[in-house]
Amino acid sequence: MSNKREKEQVYARYVASGKTVQHLASWGKKLAEVMNPAGKPEVLDDILVLDASYANFSGIIAASFFAEFGGEVIKIEPSDGDPARRMTPWGENVKGVGIPFLIEGRNKKYMTLDLKNSKKDRDDFARLAEKAAVVIETFGAGEMDSWGIGYRQLSQKNPGIIYIAITPYGQYTEKARQFAHFQDSDITSQAGSGLPAQVGDPINSPEPYNWPLKAGMWAGWYISGLHAALGGSFALIHRQNTGEGQMVDVATMDAYSCMVGFPPTIGYTWESSRPRIGVLDFILYPYGLWRCKDGYVVIAAPRDHDFRALLKILGLWKLEDDWRFTPDRIPDVVDTAMVLYKAIEEKTILYTADELVNKALRYSAKAARSKWRGGGVPIVMKMNTPPMTLESKQFAIRRIFQEVKDGTLGKFVINTGFVKMSESPPRVKWVSCDIGKDNEYIRKRYLQER
Amino acid sequence: MEDYFTYTAKLFDPSAVNGKKEILKGIRVLDFSHVIFGPTATRLLAQYGAEVIKLELPYHGDLWRPATYWGKYWKHSNPLWHFITQNKYFLGVDLKKPEAKEIIYRLAETADVVAENFAAGTAEAWGVGYTRISEINPKVIYLSCSTYGQYGPLRFYPGWDLLAQAASSVLSLTGYPDTDKYYKLPDYLGDYIPGNMGAMAILMALYFRKKTGKGQYIDLAQSEALMRLLWHFTFFNLTGKEIGRTGNSDPTMVPASIFKTRDGKFMALACATEKQFAGLCSAMNREDLLKEKVYTDPFERLKPANAAVLTAIAGDWLKSLDAEEIIGLANNKGFPAAEVLDDYRICHDPWRRQRGSVILFNDEMYKELALAGPSAQLSKTPARTKWLARPIGYHNRLVLKKFMGLSEEEISLLEKKRIIGTFDDRPGLKPPVYYNLDEDPIFNYGREGKK
Repeated sequence: MSNKREKEQVYARYVASGKTVQHLASWGKKLAEVMNPAGKPEVLDDILVLDASYANFSGIIAASFFAEFGGEVIKIEPSDGDPARRMTPWGENVKGVGIPFLIEGRNKKYMTLDLKNSKKDRDDFARLAEKAAVVIETFGAGEMDSWGIGYRQLSQKNPGIIYIAITPYGQYTEKARQFAHFQDSDITSQAGSGLPAQVGDPINSPEPYNWPLKAGMWAGWYISGLHAALGGSFALIHRQNTGEGQMVDVATMDAYSCMVGFPPTIGYTWESSRPRIGVLDFILYPYGLWRCKDGYVVIAAPRDHDFRALLKILGLWKLEDDWRFTPDRIPDVVDTAMVLYKAIEEKTILYTADELVNKALRYSAKAARSKWRGGGVPIVMKMNTPPMTLESKQFAIRRIFQEVKDGTLGKFVINTGFVKMSESPPRVKWVSCDIGKDNEYIRKRYLQER
Repeated sequence: MEDYFTYTAKLFDPSAVNGKKEILKGIRVLDFSHVIFGPTATRLLAQYGAEVIKLELPYHGDLWRPATYWGKYWKHSNPLWHFITQNKYFLGVDLKKPEAKEIIYRLAETADVVAENFAAGTAEAWGVGYTRISEINPKVIYLSCSTYGQYGPLRFYPGWDLLAQAASSVLSLTGYPDTDKYYKLPDYLGDYIPGNMGAMAILMALYFRKKTGKGQYIDLAQSEALMRLLWHFTFFNLTGKEIGRTGNSDPTMVPASIFKTRDGKFMALACATEKQFAGLCSAMNREDLLKEKVYTDPFERLKPANAAVLTAIAGDWLKSLDAEEIIGLANNKGFPAAEVLDDYRICHDPWRRQRGSVILFNDEMYKELALAGPSAQLSKTPARTKWLARPIGYHNRLVLKKFMGLSEEEISLLEKKRIIGTFDDRPGLKPPVYYNLDEDPIFNYGREGKK
């Protein structure tokens, strides 16, 4: 344990002193124990969440966050199942359950109610909602209201209800009325909120590479789900303080632009839109991916001293004069910026990823211990693919991947613990998806049926 | 009963927002964080009424102050920084000086939340980490943000949003298959998404503290936050296959892609359900497709070969129509579609202006600027923008005198010893050139002879 070779390497001067290294070693060990969620209390163990979302993962994902923090989350769907069950890459499924639905089945209970068609089921829903803290739904704007189970009606019997509605265009404005029943998907949420406009090659590149390009994951739906869960969390604080509920309205067409804030502000100050710039960057440079001898590396050396350091380790010091300052490295002419990109690439392809990573780490470790304060931190790392991330020792020690087992679905690995908390951490307790599996329990517990 | 949209128009009336309650009023946040990740978490708290005191090194300030797209400033400020730092109190204080620590420890006594995103271990090394702060204030909620987390073999590795995208494998997913290009998620999304999760974790900790009286430590790694957005791990674990890059197509639905219309617009269109697919077939006059099992069975339809056929059919059809016609058909027939919007169109979209998801804010110092509005609209306790970014140390006097009760002599001594300070003459750090700070009642708070 006290083996010197196992001593952690540091890359910042502030943590390099002997005393600090010692403190951080014990602090790190302590955290590894303290941050284990097993046996810890669950923050939302006193709330009931009804997830009535239909064919829309934004709602399912929002419900997952509440479930991970300990809420009793009931997924409500008609007896033929939520169509979201069948949205899955290339149709791959486990006994009729798609992979996305399966991983979001964390800590949830399942009940069948046909809200669209059955008056009796709506009544049961309304009775459940009397006991609930949160309702999530993704039907058309005003649709639940027209069924007598919207915010207006539910809040009369339960003034503490937090009613989260997710639709493409929200619950108010003329457009919301006109598009009240508009359907939602991840790719349309990405497109309508401005993400693909920023991804892809410059306009003079060949088609289709110069088209706007979607993010390779569900950026629209996951961001909308996060927005809904976060809005709901703020509402929970207010409910805890005052007992008062409220309506939370999330528009999936806001996903990207309200997350990053760039599009409205740039559209205003520049009175124009940014063009697509491929692998370059508007603000930080070098900051991206480069080819190397055996694949790709990620390089981030955007501050002036980081950049100087990068030039040194790549043997490119002759470029320093032309590209010295940040504004030199982020010209608004793509062809100019590409000159630097290519100059760096000419060097990176001479080395393997490991060689480049080690060059950078060696430099930073040395600079952290040097008396000279202008060292910089040129970062070079490998780009992981999902299997590589699954194998990573870092995330194994931090218990990010967890094997779960379900009677129907079998054994598989899911990602969990997106944030570590010392007292009331989120966690995954089980994963299951059987339609209506908790009908009896829910009716007994919340509807006083026998 | 009243018409639903008349009811909701009143419920969410944007002009009534400023008269509504602020949920986090009275919550004090001591904010050591910089750039985007940490500041996004605290910005969200500030939008709901928390008193966020942002600490910066005098005459240098946050690294993100001067970091603007293509180096284009707006009124000597980084226009993108206003969104991240709205409603915050700016205190310029040099952490390296022992007297500065005294100020910080005194603030920490009354803080509900502390946030930092230095390289892992730095806050501990500087004596402002959880170890020290929780001694002063055991009920504190302390958020540490980093790329890889505060423990584990990679913890000291330097990081940025890009490195989190690389470590989480998000970076390997965007682009066209069989090309040599991978595109990063734009606009530092790898900071913003984890920042939002940081705010959520803080809210959960506040909720827990109210129930139990206990504070806690939060270790948020942005790479792990991004991993929460991927089903790719379980997919690989179950099938042994990698999804990789899929270009403009979403492999979970079909058709689901970005297409070009007759009038040269880019249109995202998707069929997530059987019903939506039937709606599209009807719009295309291709109900014949609904007679073939390979297209009606949802799992069959998603198989790459079948998906390719349907994507091609949809692509040809979209080429024959203008964007507006497609949106009309999508609304009538019930399938998702949306044009790819860019910065300018988002900024000037009347729906967003009416809704309040793009706001034209009128600031005392900077005047009018368009900002993104709240990502979720709350009917009773909505988020709001109260002021934009301010120069370094703009709130020094307000924080020291009003919040902490320091005397005029104490403040001038701190100034003289350069423990507190403001800005120098660089864009991003200083106020706009037309603005007269001498006349500013907040900057000069409590100064004799001033209002």
